[in-house]
Parts: sequence; C-alpha cells; structure tokens
Amino acid sequence: MSMTKPISRLDVLEAESIHIFREAAAQFRKPVLLYSIGKDSTVLLHLARKAFFPQRIPFPLLHIDTTWKFRDMIAFRDRTARDLGLDLIVHVNEAGRAQGINPIDYAPSLYTDVMKTEGLRQALDRHGFDAAFGGARRDEEASRAKERVFSFRTAEHRWDPRHQRPEMWNLLNGRLGTGESARVFPLSNWTEGDVWRYVLREKLDVVPLYLAAIRPTIERNGMLLVLDDDRMRLAEGEKIVPRRVRFRTLGCWPLTAAIESEAADLLSVVTETLAARTSERQGRLIDHDQAGAMEKKKQEGYF
Amino acid sequence: MGAVLAKDADHPATGAAAKELLCSSAEITTGDENAQAIVHVLTCGSVDDGKSTLIGRLLWDVADLPEDTRASVAETLLPDGRIDLSRLVDGLAAERAQGITIDIAWRYVDAGARRYVIIDSPGHEQYTRNMATGASHADVAIMLVDARHGVKPQTRRHAAILGLLGVRRVILAVNKMDLVGGNEARFREIEADFRSLTARFAFEEAAAIPVVATTGDNVARSSSTMTWYEGPTLIEQLNRTPPRGSVEAASFRMPVQLVVRRPPDFRGLAGTVTSGSIAVGQTVIDTTSGRRAAVRRIATMDGDLEAAHCGQAVVLQLDADLDIARGAILATPDDPAIRTKRLDARLVWMSETPFDLQRRLFLRSATDLVPVSSVRVSARLDLETLTEIEASDCVHNDVVLAAITLRRPVALDRFADHKGTGALVLVDALTGATVAGGTAVALHEAAGQEEVGFRLTTAMLAEGVCAGVEPTSAEFRRRAIALLKVLKAAGVDAALEANDEEMNGAYLQPSAHPG
Repeated sequence: MSMTKPISRLDVLEAESIHIFREAAAQFRKPVLLYSIGKDSTVLLHLARKAFFPQRIPFPLLHIDTTWKFRDMIAFRDRTARDLGLDLIVHVNEAGRAQGINPIDYAPSLYTDVMKTEGLRQALDRHGFDAAFGGARRDEEASRAKERVFSFRTAEHRWDPRHQRPEMWNLLNGRLGTGESARVFPLSNWTEGDVWRYVLREKLDVVPLYLAAIRPTIERNGMLLVLDDDRMRLAEGEKIVPRRVRFRTLGCWPLTAAIESEAADLLSVVTETLAARTSERQGRLIDHDQAGAMEKKKQEGYF
Repeated sequence: MGAVLAKDADHPATGAAAKELLCSSAEITTGDENAQAIVHVLTCGSVDDGKSTLIGRLLWDVADLPEDTRASVAETLLPDGRIDLSRLVDGLAAERAQGITIDIAWRYVDAGARRYVIIDSPGHEQYTRNMATGASHADVAIMLVDARHGVKPQTRRHAAILGLLGVRRVILAVNKMDLVGGNEARFREIEADFRSLTARFAFEEAAAIPVVATTGDNVARSSSTMTWYEGPTLIEQLNRTPPRGSVEAASFRMPVQLVVRRPPDFRGLAGTVTSGSIAVGQTVIDTTSGRRAAVRRIATMDGDLEAAHCGQAVVLQLDADLDIARGAILATPDDPAIRTKRLDARLVWMSETPFDLQRRLFLRSATDLVPVSSVRVSARLDLETLTEIEASDCVHNDVVLAAITLRRPVALDRFADHKGTGALVLVDALTGATVAGGTAVALHEAAGQEEVGFRLTTAMLAEGVCAGVEPTSAEFRRRAIALLKVLKAAGVDAALEANDEEMNGAYLQPSAHPG
C-alpha cells in the first residue's frame, strides 16, 4: 500500500495530543482537566472529547475561580459545561476570599499565589486527583521550553526542574512515586498560531473577549485594562476611556492587558495573531512582576 | 481544510478569505507534502563550536520572528559591529545564571510553511542522557564542528548515539570556515573523516556542509566566497528531510492504549497507528493471544474512516470481541509483532543510581508495562573508540547491551523493523523514575501461548465482589485488587481486563533475582 494521504501539521499535533490524553487516562488513577476557559482550554477540551469518542470524557473538569475572572468567561464556562454535559468542579480558595486577597490591593504575585496556586493545591488534594491536564505550551515562555509532557510534582505540589524524567520517543512513563502527582500537557508542542488555526478549523466557540469590541478601559503602566465591574479604584489622572480592544490571553481582569484591535471576528483575530509583532505573554502583568517569575511560580506549584 | 470551512456559512471564517488565510498559513493540502511538514532537528555540539550562533543564525535568516524580538537583538552589537545572534537562543541563559539546569529545550520555528522543532541540550552535564532523549525525537541531526579542530572524539560520541537511537539523517556543519580562510582542502579533509565515521552507522543520508554561522554563509544562502562548494545550504539540506508518516511501506502496527465503550454495545480499541495502514474489512491479529478479527469500523469524532494511516489516532471496532486490552499490538496476520519474554536491548542508562541487580524494574513498551525479572548487562559501548567492551554493570550515561527477562510475555518488534513498537524504557518500580531508555535489538519468541490464566472483567467484578459499587470508584478498584491478590497468592495467573496496568503489574510477587 502506498502513501496517499498527506497529513497536515494540525493533524499531526491533534493526533499527538490525543495520544497523550489516552496515555494519561490509562495510566493515572484519577485525572482531572484543569479548565481555565481560555482558547488553550477550549482546544484542550475539544481534543479530550476526540480522544475518547464515542465515550464521554472519563474525567471531570476543574476550574480554579479566583473571583476576578471576566463575567463573560464565567458565562462561557457554564454554557460550555451545560451544552457538552460536562462534569465541572469549580473551586474557590475560601480562606483567601475571606482574607480579602485581591489583585488590586495586593501584589500580583501574592494574589496569584493565594487565589490560584494555593486554590489549585487545595482542589487537587481535596478530590485526590493524581494527574491534572493543563493547556500549557512550550512556546509560551522560557521556563516552559524544557517542560515535559508528563511533569511530576512532589506531595507538596512542587516542581523540581533538576530531576525531571527523560521522555524518549512517545513512551510516556506515568508511574508515580510515593505522594507524587502529575501535570499533563497535551498541547506541549503547539504554538499560539496552531491553537488559533485549530480553533478556526474545528469551528470552536471562544469567549467573546478574544474579539475586538468597544470596552471601558484605563491605561496603567503602559497597559490597557478593561474594567469588568466597579471593583477597580482609579488612580489620580486615570480616566475611563472606551476603546476598541480584544485580548490575546485571558486571566483575571485587573491583571490582563488588552490590545487595541479592529479584529472583530475570528478570522481577523487569527490573521492578526499570525502577523503578530510581539510575544503573547506580554499581556500578563504577573510575568513582569519579578525576574524568573514563571520558574519560581512553577516550583511552588503554579500550573 | 479551506473547503470544510467554506461549507459552513454560519461560521465567521468563511469563503475565499478563510481559504486564502489557511492556505498561506500552511494548513491545507498543497500537493507538496513537504510543505507543511514538521521537522524535528537535533543540534549536537558545544557552545565553543558556535552552536548558539548557528541556531541564532537559522532563526534570524529563516524564521518568522516577531519584530520586537528582532529589534531587541539588534540593539546590542558585538565589538566587531555584528549582531550577537546567540542572544536569540539565550532565553535560557538567564535561568542558567540562576543555577537552574536546562537539560533539553524545545524551540518552535516557523519558516514560511515549514515548522522546525529545534531540540537542543545546552548543558554539558548528563550530556549523553540528554542527547539520547533529544535524538529519540529527531528526524534529522546537525552535528557541529569547528573547522579548525575538525572531527573530535565528541563528534564520534554524537554519531554513535544518533546511530543507536535510529536517527537516519545527519548533517555535519563545518563551522567557522572563515577562520581557515574558506579553505576547500581543509573542508574535504574533515568531510573524509566524517565519511569514515558515518560509514559505521546505518545513516540513510549524511551530508557535510561548510558554513560560517556568524555571516550566514551556506546556512540559508549560498556562500559568495566559498564558491568551490556546490552542494546544498544547511536549510536546503534540512528541507530534504521527509515528513513523518510519509513513508508507508512498513506493515501495520497499532499498540492498543485503552478500550473505549459506549452503551449499549460499542467496544472499540483506541490507539495511534505507529506503522503502515489498515482499512475497514481487513483482518488484524493480536500478537499476545494470536486471535484474529476483521476491522468493522474506524471511528473518530469527525466521522468514520475507510482507512487509518501511520500517525493517526483512531478507535478500531472489530467484528469479534477478542478481549484485547491495553498493551496489545494489532498487526496484519502476514507480519505480526513478536510475543516475547526474553530480549536483547541496547540501553542508555539514565539513572544517577548505578545499575543494580536487586532493583525492581518494569519494562515500558509502546503501551504495556511489564515486570522485569532480570537484566544482565553483557557489554558496554566505548563511545570514543566505538568498540564494545565486555561488562556486567553500568553507571549513568553508559550505553550498554543487556539481556532482559520478563515475568510475562510482551508484544514487541525489533527497533530496526519498527521504531514505534521496538523502543522501550525501564522504569523503577518503587520511585517511578525512568532509569534507562533503549531499543530492542533481538527478540526471543516465547514458546507456545502462555495466556494469562484468568482475566477478571469489569462485568464479572460488577456481578461478584463489586456488586452495587460504581465501576469507576476507588472502592471498586480496592475490591478488585484484593481479589487479584488472593488469586495470585493462590497461584492463579490472573489479570484485570480493565485498563489498569498498575493493578495488573504491581501486584506480582517479586521473586529472587537470578545471578
């Protein structure tokens, strides 16, 4: 039999991700899909559905709600869960909420540590998940470039970059040592452009915040912030200005910068992204908080 | 893909614009199957040979780099006024300064329609281990030497590891040609050394190219000074690498990852085709049981397929229930995989703990996890002289030949015949660490069909000791394991049908290691 079907780049990436999902589902006792509502999570979820079709996804989704997500994100999350009949767990770090930890009065790194990292640790421990799927890509940031597909964490959810398991061929070793759990990254080899092209190809719905629209914004530290409710206090001289903006990456609204754009439909967004002049994480304030921020966060248990 | 989109009028991306976008961004069938390929490139060499500069040069000349990246690199110049291209790859340098070891870095470089995945191990520590890991993912390797120094012992080590790990295409980049005056004789001398080295390995293609990374000569453009060189540039040579899955001469293999079910009666075998292809109606054989069935359906969420090809992740529904589970390898009956309990393997020992006969190990094949009863090292490869030396132990970064005996048969292929089902890793049973990676070089077929004596199906458990318990619950699992332990203690060779290799593998009683 001779070769007939040329396999496209997205087909190759899709098949690899499906392989990873299946390996993890077969090897881990109680996996969970960490769902963060953004485009990467959207693709991740779609691939999970494909991996087990015609069976339902054999694990739940987990959203760590920091209470500062855009309202559009929460609405999208709940609609997606309902439409697809997903088993969705929403977890809030209640201790953090009770202490009033927020991204406005506290340093972004502290806020993220409490509401996101600590929240994640709580949820994983409470439910006894031994593996969590995440949408991280190696092209996102330097410390991710060396990340494994199956990445192990100690009982305290710490990452030890010095003692990572070598991963050869596509043989994924998911055997856990005592107390260990795993993070699994099916999108490891995807780029931002791949994610968008796949969203287009598969006709996936994304949160409307990715599309340009007139939104109330303020300019702070050279970044455009969109005000999602009345919790933001304006500094002197700051004015709320309606601007046509969209987001390249979505997180907590006071920490995620928008970009001015005319791209009001998916195709325009993808076109703009593919011609992008700057790197993606520029819009994440948290990454600029301190040098080597991501590396440190990850060692402490950030995804 | 464009055609699919154009059909859907409700979607924002419709019509000619979408088609054009997707065409231009390499996501459409162009007829040129290389056009949208992903090529995995391993770079071997040290910083002294100018590796960072060469990778930087590749990025600078061919990659679709963001403008802010170009501008920031161009800001600071070297003392001689040139751009410091190595800064393009030093995103990791900051980490190095923080004392964080980078073992393997992955970079994704789009150059027009092509995607290069550049796999690099920047450090010197654990070099063999990291290079072997990188090599297992590589379609092609660039071996870098300094024209002033030529082929060094390090180059021999690189070639040996590439050869062992099945990299079939290598490129010798003879860098810093400007420092030997672009001298052809010097290049030919190095090329001849390289040829005598590569002749010892089964490389399909080995090319030597004279380059100057700092100026870009023969990297992405032909040199205007080394006019005596008429061969391809580095980029042209990289582009000759055939994309994965494009050769389909080999016979069909699909390691089963798991069983997917949908009530009332769908039971399918999920896996990725690692070799060849299979069509609806064709007969497949399960090597472990020797049983056959015909393919009834090839299911995917995008609709059923008539045939599945190498690289595709699918679900096969067979016309008979073969009671196959994870670990099986489906093949066509004319050339099945081999069922074996004894094999010879080449291993790269990766654990920092030296080889220890008493250590409890598992062998991980494509999708199986099998308890090892013994590993005997017979020879160690001297990477300097490329000779095998008799040995009975090894430490990390050693490459050895070993005889492995398993507690139960596993389905495998010789790596030389089928990469996807002939590669393996050894896993420490206690810590879960990957202690070695390797390739099956000889398989001693298991005599007769030693089937697992008794297979506990989920249905049996649900009617028996697990009655009334949710099949996915921890309690179900606990009871199943308890029963399995009782059966094994009573000497029954039992296993669970469920996709739970932990249960099936871990509870075998360890017996004394021979020797």
